[in-house]
Amino acid sequence: MATTIGRLDGANLNGGQKLAVKYFFVAMILFGAQILFGMVAGLQYLKPDLFYGVLDFSVNRMVHVNAMIVWMLYGFIGSVYWMLEEESQHEVVGLKLGNLIFYVLTAAVTVVVLVYLFVQIGPGEQSSIWLINEGREYIEAPRWADIGIVVSVLVFFYNVAATFSKGKYTGIAGVLVLDLLALFGIYFAGMFYTTNISIDQYWWWWVIHLWVEATWEVLVACIMAYGLMKVLGVRRKIVETWLYIEVALMFGSGILGLGHHYFWIGTPEYWFTIGGLFSALEPIPLVAMVVHAVFDAGAKHIKNSNHPAMAWLIAHAFGNFFGAGVWGFMHTLPQINLYTHGTQWSASHGHLAFFGAYATIIIAVFYLAMQQWRGKVWMAGDLPGNGWKWKWALGLLNMGMVGMTVALLISGYEQSQIERAIGGSTWMGYFAAQAHPWFMQGMWWREVFGTMFAAGFVILMWDLWSIGKHETRPMQVAASQE
Amino acid sequence: MIEPASLANFFTIFFSAAMVIMLGALYALLFAYSRLKHDPRLMPVAYLSYIGLFVATLFLADAANLLKHPLWPVIVVLMLVGYLLAPHAIWHLCVGTHAEEQENTELLPSKNL
Repeated sequence: MATTIGRLDGANLNGGQKLAVKYFFVAMILFGAQILFGMVAGLQYLKPDLFYGVLDFSVNRMVHVNAMIVWMLYGFIGSVYWMLEEESQHEVVGLKLGNLIFYVLTAAVTVVVLVYLFVQIGPGEQSSIWLINEGREYIEAPRWADIGIVVSVLVFFYNVAATFSKGKYTGIAGVLVLDLLALFGIYFAGMFYTTNISIDQYWWWWVIHLWVEATWEVLVACIMAYGLMKVLGVRRKIVETWLYIEVALMFGSGILGLGHHYFWIGTPEYWFTIGGLFSALEPIPLVAMVVHAVFDAGAKHIKNSNHPAMAWLIAHAFGNFFGAGVWGFMHTLPQINLYTHGTQWSASHGHLAFFGAYATIIIAVFYLAMQQWRGKVWMAGDLPGNGWKWKWALGLLNMGMVGMTVALLISGYEQSQIERAIGGSTWMGYFAAQAHPWFMQGMWWREVFGTMFAAGFVILMWDLWSIGKHETRPMQVAASQE
Repeated sequence: MIEPASLANFFTIFFSAAMVIMLGALYALLFAYSRLKHDPRLMPVAYLSYIGLFVATLFLADAANLLKHPLWPVIVVLMLVGYLLAPHAIWHLCVGTHAEEQENTELLPSKNL
């Protein structure tokens, strides 16, 4: 493949990668939308009448959360298409269908968001379930869009499985194909109603927990395995062996960790015990990975080919450890989770865990993509301006996120005491907690750090657009020398 | 079976739970570094971190009423054993999975466990 260094050129990409950059482009737009609607929703905590009747808090929050889920899904799909041809040594099977589905899915996402924004209130009926909003938190998409999501993931599964079947079937391929099957199948659990709200919520959590803490984690592990081979030149045999080990450890503790969500919905009490046991074990794989990271870093003299991507992979390791591990375990045991579940404590954990475990690694792949798109250009040390843009973006996004996490933690701590422990989860307790100075101060600081995060996002977009432009040096070869 | 924590113990639970994970990571880090650099002086510090984890776990167990009911002490023991042995087990796996490369390297980590 002929390459043109320093210029965005489609000739530098294979078929799967051309499709991947489309997914990345939409992912970036939705990432921006997530930040924008999150900041407006955050302001509405402080000024409750802001945009009342025009852009209600419930809608802002819904778009904020849904945009996050969809941009990450786009990021994952794009990342898989990005590596598919290289990994399988074969052209993507059904690429035209994959392209068609991209446009259909993107059009559907646009329509869903427009309906959210323009049809904000009204009675819930069978027709509104199908056309406007299904009513389930985090997966509010109407039924027609649900079906569209399932069909899209099914086509994606076909593209990936068929390509690997016709090409080289690697260890990463095996894990990925099985995981996509689960990603497709589990979504069904959130697509049917029962008249009993406890049973309904029971299944709803299957989508939320098992997508995020099982299938997404495995997807990330596959992307990480590919990223380590690309950025550090780590050998495939080692990467794949560790992929199996880490997937086994994550599934072993993560699947039944499901029980740590079963609060306040009427599920049997034994779920608390099951959830408590497996949640207590969930951080052990993370601690184990520390040993592996030290071993690898110490046993090798590493030259990495893409400094921004490497920095974001390191941010992923720390973010996952603190967001999922430390922030999760602080309140996962049912004896305390009874009080914290659903307060800003959950939001604090959710912000750091989603950013640390998922956003960071997708951003790392964005940088890998830009490097390739510009003709395998130099992205190691000694970048123009000493690489200030990627460093500032990294710093502002991470500091902004840590600041928001701590601010939400303070508000959530106050809520767990005033609303839950003292107020007994009554409406009076709820409003007393919301009006408390500690809650309000936490919300103000969340907005301040949210602004810092937004500034980091703007610089990130600027950097992704400009990094490698006019660069004449070819990519430094990644090597992990023994 | 589950006795909710008292209000006075909230902070103890949050803090001790965070310390369990942080000290678990520190123990794993120092353990691996000691083995990698053949520096036995670090190993006592690693185990000191584990003792810290042990104490934090006991504080957590007490504050969260884990020791008052039959099943929950089992979870405490599983956590203590899991955090103690996980770095050992992962070290074994590291040595095993990297065995080929180690034959040609000067930085061959210690295999004795």
